[in-house]
Amino acid sequence: MSANGSILETDGLTKIFGGLVAVDAVTFAVRRGEIASIIGPNGAGKTTFFNMLTGLYKPSFGRVVFDGRDVTGARPDKITKSGLARTFQNIRLFGTMTCVENVLVGRHSRMRASVWGAILRPPFERREEGEGRDVARELLKYVGVNERFHNTVASSLPYGDQRRVEIARALASEPRLLLLDEPTAGMNPAESAELTQFMQKLREERDLSILLIEHDMKVVMGVSEHITVLDHGEKIAEGTPQEVRNNPKVVEAYLGKQE
Amino acid sequence: MSAVAKAGRAFSLPGKGSKKRSRVLAALAILGAIILPLFYESGSPWVEDYTIALAYVVMALGLNVVVGFAGLLDLGYVAFFAIGAYTIGWFASGHFAQVNIHVGVAEQLRDVPGIHLNYLLIAVIAIVLAAALGAILGFPTLRLRGDYIAIVTLAFGEIIHRVAVNGDEGVFGIGEFNLTNGRSGINPIDKIDLPFVERFTTLDLRPWYWLALAIALVILFVNVRLRDSRLGRAWIAVREDEVAAVSMGVPTTKVKLLAYSIGAAMGGLGGSFIGAFYEQVNADQFEFSFSIFVLAMIILGGLGSVWGVVVGAVALSLINTRLIPDVFNSVPQKIGLDFDLTQLGFGIFGFLLVIMMVLRPQGMIPEKRRAAELVDHIGTGSESVYEVRK
Amino acid sequence: MEASSASASAPRPRRTRGDLSDEIAKYVLIGLLLIMPVYYGIQDLADEGDLSRLATNIKDGLSNGAILALIAIGYTLVYGIIELINFAHGDVFMLGTLVSLGFFGTIGLTEATGGAGLFLGMLLTLLLAMVACGTLNTMIERVAYRPLRGAPRLAPLITAIGFSFILQNVGLLWIGGSHRSVPDLVGSQDRLFEFAGVTVSNGDVLAAVVTVPLVLLLVNFINKHRLGRAMRATAQDPEAARLMGINVDTTIGLTFLLGGMMAGAAGIVYALYQTDAWFFQGFQAGLLAFTSAVLGGIGNLRGAVLGGLIIGIIQQLSDNRIATEWTPAIVFAYLVLILVFRPQGLLGEKGREAG
Repeated sequence: MSANGSILETDGLTKIFGGLVAVDAVTFAVRRGEIASIIGPNGAGKTTFFNMLTGLYKPSFGRVVFDGRDVTGARPDKITKSGLARTFQNIRLFGTMTCVENVLVGRHSRMRASVWGAILRPPFERREEGEGRDVARELLKYVGVNERFHNTVASSLPYGDQRRVEIARALASEPRLLLLDEPTAGMNPAESAELTQFMQKLREERDLSILLIEHDMKVVMGVSEHITVLDHGEKIAEGTPQEVRNNPKVVEAYLGKQE
Repeated sequence: MSAVAKAGRAFSLPGKGSKKRSRVLAALAILGAIILPLFYESGSPWVEDYTIALAYVVMALGLNVVVGFAGLLDLGYVAFFAIGAYTIGWFASGHFAQVNIHVGVAEQLRDVPGIHLNYLLIAVIAIVLAAALGAILGFPTLRLRGDYIAIVTLAFGEIIHRVAVNGDEGVFGIGEFNLTNGRSGINPIDKIDLPFVERFTTLDLRPWYWLALAIALVILFVNVRLRDSRLGRAWIAVREDEVAAVSMGVPTTKVKLLAYSIGAAMGGLGGSFIGAFYEQVNADQFEFSFSIFVLAMIILGGLGSVWGVVVGAVALSLINTRLIPDVFNSVPQKIGLDFDLTQLGFGIFGFLLVIMMVLRPQGMIPEKRRAAELVDHIGTGSESVYEVRK
Repeated sequence: MEASSASASAPRPRRTRGDLSDEIAKYVLIGLLLIMPVYYGIQDLADEGDLSRLATNIKDGLSNGAILALIAIGYTLVYGIIELINFAHGDVFMLGTLVSLGFFGTIGLTEATGGAGLFLGMLLTLLLAMVACGTLNTMIERVAYRPLRGAPRLAPLITAIGFSFILQNVGLLWIGGSHRSVPDLVGSQDRLFEFAGVTVSNGDVLAAVVTVPLVLLLVNFINKHRLGRAMRATAQDPEAARLMGINVDTTIGLTFLLGGMMAGAAGIVYALYQTDAWFFQGFQAGLLAFTSAVLGGIGNLRGAVLGGLIIGIIQQLSDNRIATEWTPAIVFAYLVLILVFRPQGLLGEKGREAG
């Protein structure tokens, strides 16, 4: 359990796809308020691992404990409701919705509107919608999306802004833990640095813990307090950036492939 | 990179100015609809056709919730039409002659055996039963992807059809309960009797028309409200990317079941009205072609577009009851050919479906988002959550 | 691939809870399929003391099932390669029957025609039906599916339904709205021999004689021939296939061609076996055949054949023991059960199916 200050723990988490072991008995933890990373060469099972944390994949074996509760195999929407939000490696915004609407979907689990409420629109509903929109706009500003884009359809925004909207959308559910799947993919060094700063700001201002999957070593080493290294689905090393950087197994796993 | 990142194509949603314009247009249209029957004689077949068109509007709006809003390919919508129609068949006729229940009906009916309830009660029962059936039939489809939802719903529609046709012999050959009276059907069904108003007759069709219009307007209002609500947003999200939606905390199961139920409820309501209007219900009304007919209405009108669906429903309904019998039938003789054009009915219909999907899939009055999906292929091709969660 | 383990790992079981429930579902499905034969078998033993009626049901079911199997092959091949249900496929089969009927008349085959003439005539008709239906199916792909690649699922579905209606109307115009009887060229119901108390007729033999070689040829083609391999590769991974130089468009067209040809063969067998033609026969047969394809495992050729035979038997049992009016409802109930509890059917693997 998380009495020791872990917001997320896994115990022997395993995923097998038709005989192929994608993730092999990974036991790990993220402490409250920590910024942690998961790294590993391509195909190491990082995204599969993430997907088990968020409920998209049902673990074959093992447990996931979030904020003290066992959420192993729970439905993704339940897990999100309990405070775990994520972004995707290849941006999955709702293409025909505006930025505000995308963020509002992220807020779905924090709103109470019912079917009858939708039809009759009592004052409570109207207020909730209004508040929701305000929160959405505020979040968009917070992540740095210019106001004139707020009512633009998401699919017509530049790539960098789309990434920001995705983060705003994840934040809309008021998570305790934010999972970011390769958030700097496709960014140049300046943008990556900006994102790194932003993550720290997020952690401080919003009382969040953050778990990243990343390939960009600069970002990983710069922002993480704790790094877990996966290779072929297994955890081969973990520790502070210093410890991991000097670990021979890690170097060997990457075979010199570093950014 | 995802399709979203690649598309980069701008399309914008309607602004404030055009919204005002469409409100004015809508008000005018509604006004026109209210006074329309006054231009005709009270028993005019035109008024009959308009009334039927309005019933179809209600049902098309219902299917639009399922297919247009939530993106669930329902090919078995006839099931809800059926349950609505049979509801009024059971509760406003002499069908269950063993019993004698009368609630809120006119003096004349007090002596007639069977169950006779006031139409308002029946409408409520039809809605409840249809909504329940919607959830039941929708439930098995929750884990399936697009094509399979279509097939399963089609299968359900056919099963209901079979139950209706063979309904005088129990269910699946078991039992001897006469549920539906098969092809002979249940008739006569009581005429509608609303409080404060004279009992409806078959001579004056205008009260029927205005009741249908009232129902249609209520359903229209409900649709618009749902579309712009948290649930409406959830439907769009589930439709475009179910995996992302569920990851954002949208309870996709509940959202989809609500779509089925709400859509079904509207179909049931429409069915109960039609049962009353035709004064009978029989199994031949519930064939697969009905489901496709209503589907064509929403596609022709504009998938997901509330007003588009209204236009599509009115157009196809009137074409079916007016244009084809009256106009098309006389055309061949006029050009010297000797065949029955109604024989080509569904071939032409099929051809129109093909042409529509290839040339203008967004329909006559497109809904912006759906148009982007159908024409520019933005936000399509997502996996179902169940496929992913193995 | 053995991973070098940093952590001490005991040999891990390869099968998960999910795998187990899948296995159980398979046996439950088989059990559900056996309900009718077993029930009626017991009833027969009680009433008549032997299983000959059940055996006859099964024999008839297999013959009908052969026809369903041929149609099911078309559904399964097409779904396997582009993951779309070809809604118009059943009506292609129907036109195969009509083409056969028409051609019989054209070349003057009647019940009086004997021996070699009859054989040649039927062979010719078989070829014609296969070519006609194969071409038709290919054309449908070009017009209805290819332009809509990448569109939401709804779009090709609607176009296929539209085509289905068009084809049905063609059938309606061709032979009218009522059932039309087909000359009983092979003496379909004539007793040929008896086997284990069951009367095997000419029609039964015809169904087997046409179906078995065709299926074997097709299986051989798909496994051995270069183009057949291309089909399998494209079905597995279209992008990879493209990169290997396979022309995906042509391969898809070929798949439709083969599926259509099987439907055409089914058409002529149906015509001769049932000695009946009806413009609406495709709708129902199509749904039954699709159920067969799903039962066997969509995308799996052997599965389609197995599924066809099984559904054929179930259909026959329902027709004979309950009532023909209930048969569609019963088969569709099975379809729903399969898709909900074991969407990969009997022979399919997870990851290549409906849900």
